[in-house]
Amino acid sequence: MEDKEDFKTRLKIEKNRLEKLTFKSENKKGLFLGNALKLGTELVAAVVVGTIIGFILDNWFGTKPILIIIFFFIGFAAGILNVVRTAKNMQKDNK
Amino acid sequence: MAANPMVQFNVYRIGPEIKFGNIDLSFTNASLFMLISASIITIFLYFSTKNKRLVPSKIQLISELLYNFVAKMISDTAGSKAKPYFPFIFSLFVFILICNMVGMLPYSFTVTSHIIVTLVMALFIFIAVTIIGFLKHGLKYLSIFVPSGVPVVLLPLITIIEIISYLSRPVSLSVRLFANMMAGHTMLKVFGGFVISLGLVGGWLPLSFSVALTGLEILVAFLQAYVFAILTCIYLNDALNLHH
Repeated sequence: MEDKEDFKTRLKIEKNRLEKLTFKSENKKGLFLGNALKLGTELVAAVVVGTIIGFILDNWFGTKPILIIIFFFIGFAAGILNVVRTAKNMQKDNK
Repeated sequence: MAANPMVQFNVYRIGPEIKFGNIDLSFTNASLFMLISASIITIFLYFSTKNKRLVPSKIQLISELLYNFVAKMISDTAGSKAKPYFPFIFSLFVFILICNMVGMLPYSFTVTSHIIVTLVMALFIFIAVTIIGFLKHGLKYLSIFVPSGVPVVLLPLITIIEIISYLSRPVSLSVRLFANMMAGHTMLKVFGGFVISLGLVGGWLPLSFSVALTGLEILVAFLQAYVFAILTCIYLNDALNLHH
């Protein structure tokens, strides 16, 4: 019986210690590296998707070079939007 | 071993050819390594949780850490509403992690270095998240394409940009994982080739690079699995908690 009580208090102490530990050691260095790797593809992917959409629409309407150019730039804008959003999220995590 | 650094990515058939119409369903080395990864996970999780104890044994501790890690990641990014999706995200994270790690072993094959594998996972997530969004919010889910506080003149343009940004999610998700794994493994192979061709005299420098790169690759293998899982959580969060 005494053993059990002893064990319970020790468990409690250990739990408290662990909670503090995880709270303190929440350095997000790994997360930052992940975010840094994220930004590049974020931009490229939107440009690629925009260009593909432009290409498909061009084939549909038969307006060969016009829509692909327009959608390339729209895709670029979407890419910038993605990057800005990711950067904003990073800042929010930082605080 | 072949000197060509891209040979390691070849997919070849193991065993008999299985064909259904035009679809080739033969068992390949890619399927073999997916099977190996899945069995490693299953066997590990089965044995680590077989004898459950209050004070965990070492092997039980590892699986508990893994569980806590994913649970914390989901609750931090997607909130408590995402709890029902825990099994999916957990399996996804562990599968990618083990696939990447199995790929680090010499003579093995990296499943995630093929874009078709990562694209299928990313598309599945993309379609599932879209369906979840429409199920939870109905047509109101379309409002993520229309940000608030935009002048009416700019609205069509902004909406098109938002739609492209939304559609680029599976592409960026899959390309990131595939490109990182493929680039890393090619680089390892190239430096390995340098060691052989420079021989005993000059081979030590590329060898030390190779050792450092292996460490970096293990970090990248973990990090990419983590990024893949956390982005799934973020997309899920967008679908579950609709806000601007």
